[in-house]
Amino acid sequence: MRKSKRETAENLAKAHFDVEPNLQRVFLLEPIHEKNPDVPIKLLEVVKGTIERGIEPIAFTAEPAHGIEYPSMIVEISPREYQHLRDGKINFGTHAWTIGKEFMAEKNDNASNR
Amino acid sequence: MPATDEDWARGYAKQALSDLEAREILVSGNAEKCHRLHFLQMASEKVCKAYLTMANGHENVRKTHAYVARNLPIIARQFYTIINDDNEISRWEISEIRRIAREIEVLAPACDENDIRKDNSEYPWQDGKGEVQIPCEYNFPNINDKSRTIIRLIRLIRTASESYVK
Repeated sequence: MRKSKRETAENLAKAHFDVEPNLQRVFLLEPIHEKNPDVPIKLLEVVKGTIERGIEPIAFTAEPAHGIEYPSMIVEISPREYQHLRDGKINFGTHAWTIGKEFMAEKNDNASNR
Repeated sequence: MPATDEDWARGYAKQALSDLEAREILVSGNAEKCHRLHFLQMASEKVCKAYLTMANGHENVRKTHAYVARNLPIIARQFYTIINDDNEISRWEISEIRRIAREIEVLAPACDENDIRKDNSEYPWQDGKGEVQIPCEYNFPNINDKSRTIIRLIRLIRTASESYVK
């Protein structure tokens, strides 16, 4: 059975926490448009040490063969940029996005190494 | 009818694959390291531009070479998430890819980090001792282009490019 976009987003976030040692926080960007599979899942990822370039999404195609049924977009920002986003000093530009649910890293051996 | 962002992304991705093929020919022909790295830099830049174009539009992807250091690790994260089930290897390699991606980016002469990194794969430069360094004679000590991580990086660029070409 096909996973929902929210489930897929959560799985992606957890998997990203597993492989990216510098990933601090992951948020879903709304609206998600659950009924429209062509609209990408959008994740805001706060990564320590990333080069600061503001809001610059990067797009990925769906990979149904690997269980990713929807296209996705990653918006990677630094912790300082995240604070600026929260303070309203920067925004999503022409994108009508808002910061939604935060996905937490699972507490496991990998997490304890972060 | 103007080309779509999908058309541009496919174009960047296909050219990235061609750049990698050119690199293979150079490796087979024992070309100097600068030439091997030059094509790796070009392939890296184009795969990043493919992914940026789809999200930001072709017109908004600025005419710069400075895309690799930031975006190649993001692409690695996504693809290792999908295609790799050994997370310990992936965690180590993503850290290493982040380091190598920065080194690849500064191979472009325009990306000299405000005159700090003059070493590049195309043009001679003057080093701190006043000597002219020539790319074809320089050994680029920060990148071992025969390392396992580079091999995996090339496979990553190929896989990522193919997903926009298909």
